[in-house]
Amino acid sequence: MAIPFDQILIQTVNGLVNGMILALVASGLTLIFGIMDVVNFAHGDLVMLGAFVGATTIAATGSFWLAFLVAALVIAVFGAALQASTLRPLLGRDPLTTILATFGISLVLQKYALWQWGPSARKIQEPITGQFAMFYLEYPWYRVATAFFAGAIIGAFWLFLKYGRYGIWIRATMQDRIMASAMGIPVPLVHTAVFAIGAAMAAASGVLFGPLGGVTQTMGFDFTLRAFIVVVVGGMGNLGGSILAAIFISLLEAYASIIVSPSQAVIVSFMALILTLLFRPTGLFVPTPSSSGACWRCRRTS
Amino acid sequence: MLALENVHTYYGKSHILHGVSIEVRPGEVVGLLGRNGVGKSTTLKTIMGLVRPAEGRVAFEGRGIGGMAPHRLAHLGIAYVPEDRRIFRLLTVLENLRTGLDRPGLTDRRREELLQKVYGSFPVLRERRDQAGGTLSGGEQQMLAIARAMMLEPKIILLDEPTEGLMPRMVSQIRDIIQVLHRDGVAILLVEQNVPLTLEASSRVYIMEKGVVRHHAPAAELRANQAVIHQYLGV
Ligand SMILES: Nc1ncnc2c1ncn2[C@@H]1O[C@H](COP(=O)(O)OP(=O)(O)OP(=O)(O)O)[C@@H](O)[C@H]1O
Ligand SMILES: [Mg+2]
Repeated sequence: MAIPFDQILIQTVNGLVNGMILALVASGLTLIFGIMDVVNFAHGDLVMLGAFVGATTIAATGSFWLAFLVAALVIAVFGAALQASTLRPLLGRDPLTTILATFGISLVLQKYALWQWGPSARKIQEPITGQFAMFYLEYPWYRVATAFFAGAIIGAFWLFLKYGRYGIWIRATMQDRIMASAMGIPVPLVHTAVFAIGAAMAAASGVLFGPLGGVTQTMGFDFTLRAFIVVVVGGMGNLGGSILAAIFISLLEAYASIIVSPSQAVIVSFMALILTLLFRPTGLFVPTPSSSGACWRCRRTS
Repeated sequence: MLALENVHTYYGKSHILHGVSIEVRPGEVVGLLGRNGVGKSTTLKTIMGLVRPAEGRVAFEGRGIGGMAPHRLAHLGIAYVPEDRRIFRLLTVLENLRTGLDRPGLTDRRREELLQKVYGSFPVLRERRDQAGGTLSGGEQQMLAIARAMMLEPKIILLDEPTEGLMPRMVSQIRDIIQVLHRDGVAILLVEQNVPLTLEASSRVYIMEKGVVRHHAPAAELRANQAVIHQYLGV
C-alpha cells in the first residue's frame, strides 16, 4: 500500500512538534534522575500545575507570555521547596522510597488541583493565531512556535550547562557527587536547584501545551508516562539521549498514526520501551559500553 | 592547624580507626605511612568529611570540623586528592579544573593566574585541556587530580598515595610539585607507600598500624635510623 507523501510530511511536522514539548518535560526528568537517582513520578503533575498556574494568570492578566513566566517561576519555587522538604532527606536511600514518595506527591498534587480548580478542563488561548497551508491542511503557526520555544529553552539550558559558571557544578555533581562536594561544590544546593530547573521546564511545557490539549488535573499522568519511556529509551540520566529519544518516539507515534488510529499509535512507544529494555537496557542513545563514558555511574557508588 | 585527637571511625559496624591523633602545622609536609589496610585513607576521608568520626575531635584552625559537609571544608581551605583520583571522566581537563575555579568571589585575573600556574607545573594538562578526563593515562590523571585540588587555593592538601602505580619519571614530577606547594606555604598531609619519597619530602612522619598511630618522629630521625621503618612496614 502506498502512503501519500503529504501525509508523511505532515506527520513529520507533528512528530517534531510533539517531540520538542516532550523533550522539554523529559529533560527535567532525566536531569533529576541523573543527579540524585530519583525517578520523579510527580513530574507530569508539575506540568499540570504549571498549566493551571498559567491558565489562572492568563485569566487574571490576559497575557500568555506573562503567564508562561509566572508559571515557570512559581513551579520552580514550589519544586525547590518540594525537593528540600521531601526528597533531600531520602537521598541515597533505597530507590523504592523515592518512588513511593514521588508517587505520593503525584496523588496529592492531582487531588489538590481537583480541589483548587475543579474537574472541568480549562482552555488556554494561543498567543499566536494564524495558520499556514500545508497540502490539504491549515496548519497552526502556534504549533510550530511551541517546538521552537521548547527547543530554545533546551538549547539555552544546554549552553548554561556547558559554558555557564555554575553549569559545571551540575555536570560535576552528576558524575561524582562526593568528589564534587570535595571540590567545594555545594551539592545539596545543586540538587535543589536542578529540581527547580526541571520543575520550571515542566511548567513551561504545561503552558505551551495548554492551547493544544486543554488543562485538566489528570493530564500529568500521560506526560509522566511518555517522559519516562523517553528517559529509559534515551538512557537514564543522559540529557542528549533523552532529547533524541523524545523526538524519535514522537516521530514513531506520528508515523504509526498514518496507519492506525492515534490512540493505537501509543503502542509503538511501549514497543520501543520494551525492545530497548530487552536489547539495550542502558538506552539507545548512549555511547556503547566499550567507550570510556558508559561506566561513569559505577564510580559514584563507592 | 589541622589536629585529630583520639579519632574513632567506623564503616557500618567495622571499627577502622581506634583513636588516631595527628597534627599538621601551617605549611608543614607531614607523612603518613603504614601497611595496606591500616586506615590511612580512612583517616583522610574522616578529615574531609566523607566519613563521620564516631568519637574524638577533628579541628582545623582551632574550630571543630567533625561532621561538617565536604564542600564547607573545601571553602575553609582543605583540598583532597583521593587514592583513586576520581577525575570527572566525562568532563574535559579544563572543565575538571573549572570545578574548583568556578566559584563565587574569584576574579577572572586570579582564575587565569591559577590556571597558568598549574599549566606551568604540568604542561601536559595544557596540551590536553580539551580532552575528556577519562582518556588521560594514570599518571596524567594523577597530575590532574593534584592540579584540580590546587584550583581551590587550599591551605592544606590531603594527598592519598599520589605516586601509586606511576613510572619513575612521573614520580619525580609528583616530588617536584610537592616541593612547589611546600614553597608556596601549602601544608600537605601525605599518605604514601613510597618510603624514600615520604622521608625526603616530609618534615615529620606518622606510622600507623591497625587503626592507630604507632610511631611518630621527625623525618630526619627516620632517615638516619631505618630500623623503625623495617619494624613497622617490613621494607
Ligand atoms: N567503604 C568501606 N566499607 C567497609 N570497609 C572499608 C571501606 N573502606 C575501607 N574499608 C576497610 O577499612 C580498612 C582500612 O582501609 P583504608 O582504605 O583506610 O586503608 P589504607 O591504609 O588506606 O590501605 P591502602 O594502603 O591499601 O590504601 C580496610 O580493612 C578496608 O578493608
Ligand atoms: Mg589507602
